[in-house]
Amino acid sequence: MENREIILEINHLTKVFQDEPDVNAEPILEDLNLQLHRKEFLSILGPSGCGKTTMLRCIAGFESYEGEILVGGVSTTKPGTDRIMVFQDFNQIFPWQTVEKNIQYPLKLQGIKDKDQLKAISDEYLKKVNLDGTQKKYPHQLSGGMKQRVAIAKALAQKPKIILMDEPFAALDAMTRNKLQAELLNISRQEDCTFIFITHNIQEAIVLGDRIIVMSKKGKIKIDKQNTLARPITPASPGYGDMWTLFHDAIEE
Amino acid sequence: MKKQKVDVSGLIVKIIFVIAVLILWEVVARANLFGSRSRLIFPTIGDVLQAFVNNFKTGYAGSSFWVYIMNSMKLLVLGLFIGIVLAFLFSGLSIVSKTFHSIYNLVVSVFDLLPGVALLPVVIVICGVTPGVIVFLVVHAVIWPMSRSVLDGFLAVPKIYVESGLNMGLSGFSLLTGVYIPAATSYIVSGLKVGWARAWRGLLSAEMIFGLANCPGIGLYINQMRTNMKNAEMYATLIVIIIIGVVVQYGILAPIEKCTVKRWGMSK
Ligand SMILES: Nc1ncnc2c1ncn2[C@@H]1O[C@H](COP(=O)(O)OP(=O)(O)O)[C@@H](O)[C@H]1O
Ligand SMILES: [Mg+2]
Repeated sequence: MENREIILEINHLTKVFQDEPDVNAEPILEDLNLQLHRKEFLSILGPSGCGKTTMLRCIAGFESYEGEILVGGVSTTKPGTDRIMVFQDFNQIFPWQTVEKNIQYPLKLQGIKDKDQLKAISDEYLKKVNLDGTQKKYPHQLSGGMKQRVAIAKALAQKPKIILMDEPFAALDAMTRNKLQAELLNISRQEDCTFIFITHNIQEAIVLGDRIIVMSKKGKIKIDKQNTLARPITPASPGYGDMWTLFHDAIEE
Repeated sequence: MKKQKVDVSGLIVKIIFVIAVLILWEVVARANLFGSRSRLIFPTIGDVLQAFVNNFKTGYAGSSFWVYIMNSMKLLVLGLFIGIVLAFLFSGLSIVSKTFHSIYNLVVSVFDLLPGVALLPVVIVICGVTPGVIVFLVVHAVIWPMSRSVLDGFLAVPKIYVESGLNMGLSGFSLLTGVYIPAATSYIVSGLKVGWARAWRGLLSAEMIFGLANCPGIGLYINQMRTNMKNAEMYATLIVIIIIGVVVQYGILAPIEKCTVKRWGMSK
């Protein structure tokens, strides 16, 4: 991994929500530094309110910040299609578009005009997330898990450099969640794409991540660990228990 | 899409009710209950139907009722179009500028309270007795409720859609058409309903209050029938007004709703 190019570089990221101009608010993120290699899958754990979402939103360009965020070596401050966000909320795909139109719409914006080509791409990515056959359905006809799959397919189809996922499976039932983890793991192996995946679930972080970070208050990186367990990882994998305990204790402290 | 079950017994009740009312009307009409004025107040159904046909065939002073309907519709459609476009334009500007939003909000709240007919004298002073007055009143009738709905609708657009839109490269005008307008469709449709109802009433009121000789409309026609004691024709005109209302409601507004918010599962 170390010899791959660096796709994301965060230097001295500090974020203060200045709600009232005169009050000097506490920073939510303070001097955060992070580097991410191409094709890396980074899981981020951390207690509620430590700033995980805020960091992701800064990377996505939804928040202003101090410091520097470089994507592919280029400084970015605004949203862009090289970084696609997948939210926790099931209702992030557009309800007024069918499943396939949801996937095709950003592609059209990117300049792909040919109908057959659009159809081919949306079909391809729907297959990848096991949603073949739902092309003409509207989002309100899908379950939560299916909507998240569409959101992932939509993100992948745009061929971003980085996909930013903020607890996308947190609101799913355990069975659907396990299924989607397996699918995402599979997809992330095939695609030339880098992932940042925030989760509250230690098992999820270990199963998915090539690298796992535990964040604490003000975005301080407490643990930054390469995941050396042999795949596929299950709770029965050797070393899983130790790793789980390590992260668990770090989050609890 | 589920097939809607037809409420058969409800339908039968409605049909029986309508038939009963018609029979009652005919009985009253033939009984001459109101003496000499009976024929005026209650022309027989046959007379009204005959008048309905006559309206279109002979009309009044050489021009068929069609001409009147078309004149009214022309002004109505023009006014609706201008009103809706302006409502979208100003509401769109309101998302861009906070200052504009608060000012426009105030303007909408104030003018929404002002019945169009009350503006008539002012508008006549400005425009003279021209079709422009009618258009102005239709615009006035539609723009405020429409703007209110669109403003509320834009405010209610979930942040997540806006951010998704920004993420895929939308901004400014494309964000408005790509996210804000579709996401606010249920509000826009209800704004259309209220706007249409007000515009239709406003149009007829204005036409009845002052008739435009160079552009005679449905309202004027009713007045002409009244002054000529052609009461059957008057009733026949009312029927046409109801038919137009039904056509717009069930032929235009309901299908729009069905193809958008209902299909998307976004009904409020
Ligand atoms: N828009 C905002 N304005 C002010 N404070 C915010 C805003 N968004 C988040 N915060 C604060 O920032 C802190 C970190 O939030 P967040 O990044 O959502 O944490 P996490 O995702 O790790 O649970 C919290 O204390 C939260 O209250
Ligand atoms: Mg969060």
